[in-house]
Amino acid sequence: MSTTTTKIATQDIADSILDPVLTPSTAISINNVTVSFKTPKGAYTAVKEISLTVQKGEIVSLIGHSGCGKSTLMGTISGMVKPSQGEVIANGKRVAGPGPDRGIVFQNYSLLPWLSVYRNIYEAVDSALKDLSKAEKKELVERNLKTVHLWDHKDKLPGQLSGGMKQRVAIARAFAINPTILLLDEPFGALDALTKSNMHVELLKLWNLDNREKTIVMVTHDIEEAIFLSDRVVVMNDGPAATIKEIVSVPLARPRNKKDIVHDPVYMNTHDKLLNLLIDKFSIDDIKE
Amino acid sequence: MKAKAIKIGWSVVYFAAGMLLLLGMWDMVSRLTKGEIPSPIATWGTFKEVMTNPFQNDPDNKGIGIKLLSSLARVGIGFGLGSLIAIPLGFVLGSSRIAMNIINPIVQILRPVSPLAWFPLGLAIFQDSPKASIFMIFICSLWPTLINTSFGVSNIPQDHKNVGKAFGFSVWKYITKIMLPYSLPHIFTGLRLSIGVAWMVIVAGEMLSGGIGLGYFVWEEGFNGGSVGKILVAILIIGTVGLLLDRLFTGLQKRFTYVV
Ligand SMILES: Nc1ncnc2c1ncn2[C@@H]1O[C@H](COP(=O)(O)OP(=O)(O)OP(=O)(O)O)[C@@H](O)[C@H]1O
Ligand SMILES: [Mg+2]
Repeated sequence: MSTTTTKIATQDIADSILDPVLTPSTAISINNVTVSFKTPKGAYTAVKEISLTVQKGEIVSLIGHSGCGKSTLMGTISGMVKPSQGEVIANGKRVAGPGPDRGIVFQNYSLLPWLSVYRNIYEAVDSALKDLSKAEKKELVERNLKTVHLWDHKDKLPGQLSGGMKQRVAIARAFAINPTILLLDEPFGALDALTKSNMHVELLKLWNLDNREKTIVMVTHDIEEAIFLSDRVVVMNDGPAATIKEIVSVPLARPRNKKDIVHDPVYMNTHDKLLNLLIDKFSIDDIKE
Repeated sequence: MKAKAIKIGWSVVYFAAGMLLLLGMWDMVSRLTKGEIPSPIATWGTFKEVMTNPFQNDPDNKGIGIKLLSSLARVGIGFGLGSLIAIPLGFVLGSSRIAMNIINPIVQILRPVSPLAWFPLGLAIFQDSPKASIFMIFICSLWPTLINTSFGVSNIPQDHKNVGKAFGFSVWKYITKIMLPYSLPHIFTGLRLSIGVAWMVIVAGEMLSGGIGLGYFVWEEGFNGGSVGKILVAILIIGTVGLLLDRLFTGLQKRFTYVV
């Protein structure tokens, strides 16, 4: 316990320099988490002894090579994956299972194929936000579907959508329940550059609306995206038994302007750093992505 | 559009060819037995005779339509009650390993029992032969639906379950929005097999139980009445109705299968 507190303390200092507006408190704390899967060939340790603390209001990206354990680590925060060792504390509570305080965009979208786009979001809102009236729920669904530009497609079934459209439904669903912690597993991976940019703006809008108190953890393969959105980028080592290789801070002031920051030396520096961290392990395996 | 019309055209041709083949063989058998088995044409005569006033409903002279409806009603009640139990039980077995482990041996023992063996038991319980037929239909409609439903439910992909967990679906929402829709195609497969068994069994049941129905018609008017023609007519009616029931459930099954 004492090691965790010192870790929080040092991070507090770092964060207060970067973002003096916030009085940080811990939103997520991953304590010494190891995840092993049972496989026919014996146990496979995906991630090993990972510790990471994310402050309230922080945007953190996870990057690393395919199969290194990013989704697995996200799973331990969402509660979909049980750590074999260690624990995750989210919003002050030990994570024992999934819950609507932590909204998820799944890597594979996970829409219910028999429900229309509209119903997919409505049922989630209806469950997660029980106290709202029916009219409020409907309004919420409508607003979020319009945000991702899918209102015209609201009556389609997921099977009738393109990959990027499915992904936007999943995003709208997570946004609509407005959780204090948003967990996004490659949320924009299937989108074209323009739609992706729009989604970045929408994500930041949502975050700003909440006085920047929403905590966002995101998996991405896109370095530019990671830098543009995040306060910190967590680079993971390759598996098995993956660990955190390095955590890179992104000391760029907000609001950030996509066109301008690319010329900022800080941006270029960070970009180089991340690229080097990823590329020194470059192998032919990565091409399968 | 055109390709579809051609496809339908061909299937009509194939169907007609099959029917002609059947009629040809039937006619040959009829000649070989020297008319002991009536020819298709003779049977057609019997058919028209049977079909006059199908819904005549005098106490001692019921039309074939009334008999058919009363058989269908018995099948409907037995099958309906059976499904009403089999589907929810299938949900339980499919979602709980423990329940499955407890109930499965019971199912394995009872399922292979011939439907006819249940008839005397039904008679002993209800002291009433129409009720005993319904009981028999009920028991044999259980198994295919139960097994298919629990199979469907136990195969719900983790992704779908995760959606329910992540957004905090209530048990009711989980059942109606995830479990039921996912297993619906499996349920309809079960129902289709069940209705097939039920329809097959009702004829045997009515032979045992007597009363009004197609089974009794085959036995009493066909066999005891010495009219092989009526037996053949009944067989054709039973077969056609069975086919229509099967088509109905195949249609429902298709209607509720989703593209993932
Ligand atoms: N349920 C499971 N059972 C067995 N092994 C698993 C399971 N889930 C993940 N793994 C293994 O754990 C490792 C990490 O998987 P994970 O999905 O977390 O990777 P990832 O970093 O998200 O990859 P990608 O970038 O391709 O999404 C992989 O080697 C994978 O095979
Ligand atoms: Mg992943």
